[in-house]
This record gives sequence, C-alpha cells and structure tokens, in this order.
Amino acid sequence: MADGKYFSTTKKGEIHELKTELNAVDKSKKKDAVKKVIAAMTVGKDVSPLFPDVINQMQTDDMELKKLVYLYLINYAKTQPDLAIMAVNTFVKDSQDPNPLIRALAVRTMGCIRVDKITEYLCDPLHRCLKDEDPYVRKTAAVCVAKLYDINAELVEDRGFLDMLKAGWGTAAGWGLLLDLIGDANPMVVANAVAALSEIQELGGKPVLELTLGTVSKLLRALNECTEWGQVFILDSVVNYLPADGKDAEAVVERVLPRLQHANSAVVLSAIKVILKNLQYINDETVRAALSRKLAPPLVTLLGAEPELQYVALRNIGLIIQGQPSVLANDVKVFFCKYNDPSYVKMEKLDIMMKLINEQNIDQVLLEFKEYATEVDVDFVRKAVRAIGYCAISIQSAAERCINVLLELIGTKVNYVVQESIVVIKDIFRRYPNRYESIIGTLCDSLESLDEPEAKASMVWIIGEYAERIDNADELLEQFLESFPEETAAVQLALMTATVKLFLKKPVEKPQQLIQLVLTYATQETDNPDLRDRAYIYWRLLSTDPEAAKDVVLAEKPTISGAHDGTEPALLNELLGELGSLASVYHKPASSFVSKMRLAVHRADDLAAAAARGSHSGDSETLTSAVVAESPLAGLGASAALTPTPPVPDLLGDLLDLDVPAPAPAAAAAAAPPDAPNLPMVFGEDKGKGVVLCAALSQQAEGYVYQLSVSNVAVGAPLNGFMIQLNKNALGLAPASQHVALDAVPPGATATARVPMVHNPALAAPEQGQLLQVAIKCNPLGVLYFNDSIPAQLLAPPPPAAAQGAFFF
Amino acid sequence: MSAGLTPSLQSGHGCCLLQGLWFSRLLSLFGDKEARILVLGLDNAGKTTILYRLHVGEVVQTIPTIGFNVETVTYKNIKFQVWDLGGQTSIRPYWRCYYPNTQAIIYVVDSCDVDRLPTSREEFAAILEEEELRDAAILVYANKQDLPGALSDAQVAEGLGLTSIKSRDWSIFKTSGTWLKKETRGMGEGLFEGLDWLSNTLKTKRR
Repeated sequence: MADGKYFSTTKKGEIHELKTELNAVDKSKKKDAVKKVIAAMTVGKDVSPLFPDVINQMQTDDMELKKLVYLYLINYAKTQPDLAIMAVNTFVKDSQDPNPLIRALAVRTMGCIRVDKITEYLCDPLHRCLKDEDPYVRKTAAVCVAKLYDINAELVEDRGFLDMLKAGWGTAAGWGLLLDLIGDANPMVVANAVAALSEIQELGGKPVLELTLGTVSKLLRALNECTEWGQVFILDSVVNYLPADGKDAEAVVERVLPRLQHANSAVVLSAIKVILKNLQYINDETVRAALSRKLAPPLVTLLGAEPELQYVALRNIGLIIQGQPSVLANDVKVFFCKYNDPSYVKMEKLDIMMKLINEQNIDQVLLEFKEYATEVDVDFVRKAVRAIGYCAISIQSAAERCINVLLELIGTKVNYVVQESIVVIKDIFRRYPNRYESIIGTLCDSLESLDEPEAKASMVWIIGEYAERIDNADELLEQFLESFPEETAAVQLALMTATVKLFLKKPVEKPQQLIQLVLTYATQETDNPDLRDRAYIYWRLLSTDPEAAKDVVLAEKPTISGAHDGTEPALLNELLGELGSLASVYHKPASSFVSKMRLAVHRADDLAAAAARGSHSGDSETLTSAVVAESPLAGLGASAALTPTPPVPDLLGDLLDLDVPAPAPAAAAAAAPPDAPNLPMVFGEDKGKGVVLCAALSQQAEGYVYQLSVSNVAVGAPLNGFMIQLNKNALGLAPASQHVALDAVPPGATATARVPMVHNPALAAPEQGQLLQVAIKCNPLGVLYFNDSIPAQLLAPPPPAAAQGAFFF
Repeated sequence: MSAGLTPSLQSGHGCCLLQGLWFSRLLSLFGDKEARILVLGLDNAGKTTILYRLHVGEVVQTIPTIGFNVETVTYKNIKFQVWDLGGQTSIRPYWRCYYPNTQAIIYVVDSCDVDRLPTSREEFAAILEEEELRDAAILVYANKQDLPGALSDAQVAEGLGLTSIKSRDWSIFKTSGTWLKKETRGMGEGLFEGLDWLSNTLKTKRR
C-alpha cells in the first residue's frame, strides 16, 4: 500500500491550536494566544506559520498586545518577506497615532524589520516622524534613519533623509531633516541625530556631516544637557571638526573642558580626545601648556577605578603621552605598581613609566624597577629588567646607575633575571661602546646558567665582540660549541660569527681549530640555508683575504639609539582620533578588526581609485614610480641598473608619450613591435572550444603588460566583446580595463592585443607563486579559464634593505 | 436557501417573524459576537474611504492601503468587524488569508473606472469560487456615483456578471464614499441601505 499515509497526520498540533485561538472572538483569549506565541518564539519554536494570524492582531488599542505583535514581527518578518507587506498600513497608521509612545514604537519597529520589499513604504511615515512635535519620536526616528541606511543606503540618500539629519541652519532649501535635527531644541534629539549620522558615515565611508563652527557650537550647546552616552556621541563627532584658527580651537576646548569632571570615563576620554585634537591648532604656547596641564588630573582619576577600567585607561594614556608627553611628565609616581594590581595592569604601567622617565625622576623610577625585578611574576620581572636596560640606553647620565642595578640583579643568581640582564647589557654595550666592558668578567661567571636562546646569543656576541679582552674566550666559546648542532638558528649564527671574530683577533691554534669545526659543520651538516650561506661567505673571505675579512667582520658598528619603538606617527594620529574606543585599547586601527568598516574602507578606496582614474593622478603616479624603481630587476640588461633614474614623472601619460627621456632599455622594449611573435600557448585547441589563446606577461616601459593573441580556429562566428580578468596573484596585478581592445576575430583569423596591467596591492597573493589564473570572456564562447605563469624574473625580490639592528657583524 | 433572489425580494425577508423569537435568536447567535466582513475590490475603488465613512461617519483623507485596516462598525446595534484589505495587485494574493470565518464580502467597484471593470470582474469571480467563502453574503457597492461618467448600478452589475449568480445572496447599491448630506442628497444612503440589507441577510442565515 501507499506509504503516503505516514506523511499525512490527523494530529493538528500546537500551531493549529494557536491558530484557532488567535482567530477566536474573545479578545482576552486572543491576547493570551499571542502571549503563547511569543513564549514559543522565545524558546526557539518555529511559530512563523502563524504570521498572518498574528499580524491581524496588530491594529488594537491595547498597548501590551501591540508591543507583543511588534516583537513577533521583528523576529519573523524576514522569514515571511512577502506577507510582511500586510503590516505596512498599520505602521503608517500607528506613526500618526495621537499617543507619542505608539508613534515612537512604530518607528522603532519599522527600523528593525529588515525586509527590503517594504522599506520603501516606510519612508513616508519616517519622514513625518522626523518632524514630529514630540522629541522622543524625533529621536527614535533619527536612529531609524541609520537603521534604514544599513538596509538600503540608496533609498535613504534619494529620499533626502540625510539632509534631514543635518541641515536646518538654512543652507539650502531641501536640506531638510536629519541634519535639521542637529539644530533641535532637545539635546537628546541632537545626540541621537549625531549618532545616526556618524553611523551612516561609517557605513557609507563618505562624509555626511560637514562640521562648521556653527554646527559645532550647536552640538556643544546640547552637550551639557545630554545623557552621558549622548555626550560621548557628540564629542566623538566634534573631534572631526577642523578649527579654522587658534581662536576657534580655543573656544571648542573651553566648552569641552567641564566634561573632564564627568563620572563616566567614556565621556572623559572622548573629551580628552577633542581637547588634544584642538590643542594642535592653538598657537599660543602658554595657553596650550595651561590647557594640557588640565588633562592630567582626569587621567589620574581614571586610575582609581577597578582594574578593568584602569587597563583601558592605561592603554589610552599610553597613546596620549606619545602624542603629548608633557601632559603627565610630572606624574610618573601614579603609575607605580601596587602589589595587588593584576598583572595586565602592571605590564601597562611599566610601559607608561618607561615612556615617562627623564633626568629628574630616573632615580625614583630605577628604584621602583629594581623592586619589581625581585618580584615573583616572571613575565613582569623580565619586563622590569628590560625597562632598566631601556633607562640606561635612553638616559646617558643614568647609565652607570642602571648597570649597577643590573649587576646587583645578576648577583641574585635568579636564572631568568640573569638571562634577561645579559640581553639588555648587550644593548647597553652597543649604546655606549668601550665604557662598561669591565663587567664582562661578572657576566662570564653566569655562563653555565644560560639556557634561553636570546640570552645565549647575546652572551656569545659579547664574547666574540670583546674576545681580545677575555683571556679564555676560546675556552668559553668551545663550551658553547659542544652543543652547536642542537642550538637554535639564532645561537648558531651568533656562535659562528663570534668564532670568526675570535679567529681574526687571535689567529692562533685553538681558534683555528674552532673555526674549522664550525664552518665544516655549517657548510656540510646543516639544513639551514642562512647558516650555510654565511658560513661560505666567511670561508671565502678568510681564504682569499684575511685582511679584508677583518675590515668586514670587525668593522666599526654604529651605536644604537635609545629611541623607544613607539607607535608610528601616522597610526598614532589615527588612534588618538579614536581614543576611548576599542581601537585605542588594541592600538590597532578600527578598520583592521571591524568587518563592516573594512567594507566601507574598501568602498571608499574604490571611489578614490575611480576618481584617480578619471583625473589621471594618484594611482598612476605611484604606479609609474613603482615601475621606475623595479625596472632594473626586469632582467633588461645590466645597463638598466646603471641608467640614472629619471626625475619621477608626474603622470603615466608623460612616460607613454616619451616626453621624458626614459631609461634606454625600457624605451627599446617599448619600441618593440606590439605583437610579440612567439607567445606561449595557454589555451589550446584540445580544450574543444575552437579557439587558441597564446599569452605572456611581461614588463615594459609603461608597466606590466599582458600580451594576448587570439586565433579563431573553428568557431563558426566572429569572436567579439573580449573581456579579461585575473585571479589574485603574487604581483597583485589586475587589468587596467576589463575590456580588451580587440576587434572582432573572424573565423580563421588571429588577432593580438596588449592588455595593460595595473598594480593593486589588495589583490596581491604571494602564496600563488608563479601561478596566474586568467579568465577571458568573449561572444559567443562565454568565459574561458586557463592557468598561465608569471615569468620568474618578474618575481625577483627587490634588493634587500640593509638589515637594521642586526648585530652579528 | 432560496435561489435567484433579487434585491427587492430580499429586502422583504424576515418581516413575518415574531419579534421575540427574532430577538432571542439575534442574541444567541450574534450576542456580543461581531460579524466578520471583508471589504475587497481593486485599488482606488474607495474601500478605505467607505470603511471610515461607516466607522466615524466622516470623509477622511486616505492614502493607498498597503496592508489592511480593521475597524468595528456598529450599525443599528449590530457590530460588524470590518476588514478593509489593500487592493493593489501585490496585495491581492493575500486576501485569501482573511477568508476563513467570513460572513460577508463587501465588494467595492469604482463605477467610473470602465477600463478596469473586466479586471474587477475576474477578481470578483475568483472570490465567488473560493470554497471558504461559499456561505458568505455578497454586497456590491457601485461606488463613486457622485462623479460624472459613473456607470449605473445595473451597468456595474452587468459588468461584474452579477446577474448570472443564482445560488447565493447578493445585492448591489449605488454609493458615494465622499457623499455629504447637503451637496449630493440621496447618493450616500446606498451605504447604509447596503448595511441594512447585510444585517437582514446575516440574521436570516443564522436561522
């Protein structure tokens, strides 16, 4: 018999029961039913089949019932996008209800229904509510605009909502509403309009809110009466204001200053951000100093909060003092660690103390560091030792005291303290050559206890560098060499160099044996190419000209500087603009960890690129200089490398016109006939498409060019409408235009084209190696895919920049 | 159920009943229950205007209904729960969600929209076919009678194919949703005459 019966059931189930109840006549029964539906929804049961029945309860005077239905709608509108249209009229009605709470509720719910089909219908009610007489409704509507923008940006722009959020001081007619709200009498409305506008700005990646002194003073007027989070929104917007002159900046700072006393740390940080930004524009030195002094107390106050907030404050302070070191210059004491601080707070405090040391406070700080170095938290102790080394390097007058502290610490014989000390002492030697070498003896006493690669490598470097002053240097190195094969690469390299130095300084029997041993092992046994290559270089140097070897290996080393490797200025500037956000805690730009922003940034980049293409500037300029810089690598002949680089041409166009004398070989390449005769075949007849493609990537005067030849072997119709696209590749190349300049190729004919390529770092994928995946589209064949390869010479790396900080020579 | 009733015959129904019996039946069957009535018709037929004309007694400014309106209309102590559904092409498919338990359909036709009368007829025919509406009374309003060029009720009935309906209760009235007493005397009465007919028909059905 048929098994269909198993699928049809006589059981009606819960949904059916609820449906009946929803359609009951009795109102209280209906309401109960809706409550049951919501309950089922919250525990995860699918009650979406009841959509039409629930929606029908929407028009009611009962506020509670209405809220429940709205809740249901928010949850299920997406699953029933077509039916959701039945709710529109109710929203329209509710947005005109005499009760402002219902109007606001309707607007808020409208924004939460992310169904594209109905958003258009919601514009009119939203429009009306932005001009509502009730501030609560206006405020809710402002936020709704931002939500709507996320669903359908074009719609919002077309309907002029943005202008609604921002205009209002009578700029132009039609600059109506959202901008209008910034001039609203109610501070809450202003704050929410600002929040909406900044959200839209982030989503769209283009400026919506133009800040003038007039706008800013409107915002600041609302500032004092806002809730704390409203204040944060306003301050975060004001930070984007560029003051016209020092006076404007001063005015802004004056009005923001009172916010520094706010209890909410987010408000304080945002206020500091605004003040820091505007301080830059104040020309009067004394005013600036006076104002920046006022920043210190609120920052210190932030450290009184619980550890988590302290951490956030410390991360932000770390940025602030990099931008304005003077702010907390006299307050290093507040950053002294307490014994019960959590370790993450201690680490941050150490970092900040390192940034605040100066001649005046060094004694105090050094004492503190020494204390820390005797604590039990290993990571903290290590960092403290490093901090002492940092003090020595950055403050010359204190170097001696630091060395003494380090020697004391080595005296404790605590293994990790000793090792860390040796690492920093190596740096001190490099900073102040020929001054503190007397302590080498002490260092050598702790030789046996070293087991960490970095400490070992540092010690070995010291031995090699000062071999002539260490009587038993050969013995010491020999000890290390016993375990040479087991050491890490860094230690092996250090050992090898130290042995060579020893040999050059004391060319006697023992070192000679050692060097034989090391070089033999390094050239024959090891798998490490760095080690092997360096061994060969030493070997050849030593065997051809020992004197030259001396010049190379024992050459004078530049002294290292004490500059702290802080945040890069550009990044620092960006992060200072984001104080009080996650970005300032991570010390990373927001675009690197917020995916939506990443999209927006891309979008903005695309816009910029398109603009640049239009105006023939920007991109092409960098492209040109890149080509000029790389051309010697293209294997065009030795003379290319000798050709002086022409003055960097302004535009690609100039180079193409050859107005500027281009490097000779490059010009020759450009003059070559465009249809290079022997292109390798990349898409053969065996693919059964009746077409043969030959292609090759090459580098020419105008940049990378993809040469393509198309033979119409057996397609019964002319081929036309050629387009090309590349997958991500190692060089990050993409066609300058997707359209290939090729006329129709009739059957039996062959045509060639040159497709100029542009470099787009976003498309670079080094892992692709030589692989170049190409797609060609043409009529009537559609899309043809094939794999090509990038010629090896185009992939040659640029000449390595002299490695800085390498101390092995 | 008597077949092929004409409006004039229909309005005579129920007179011979005893008042007491009549009343008790009304209570037991209607009680505080509301008769569920759907107002359907093409877009721009005047459904929403009619609903609010009946509900608040005033002519209100309306915009196209994307969705529905529902109001309780009390007429001569009888409560009607009146659902006015949007008439746009995109919304018509969802009319069927509202069919169950419906006692009557008010079908509104724009008497001036001669071009779309065939479309209206198709929609109307589809409604008549619906199994769930088998027992629903059909009240047709030939609306917008105040405008020049309006078809007469007979012409609208012809255009909808009303005259060929033999097996159910139906009636047609000339109406104007925007009728105001002073100006166009007599035209708006159709609305309430229709409701009279409807309440009588519904009462009869319950028997």
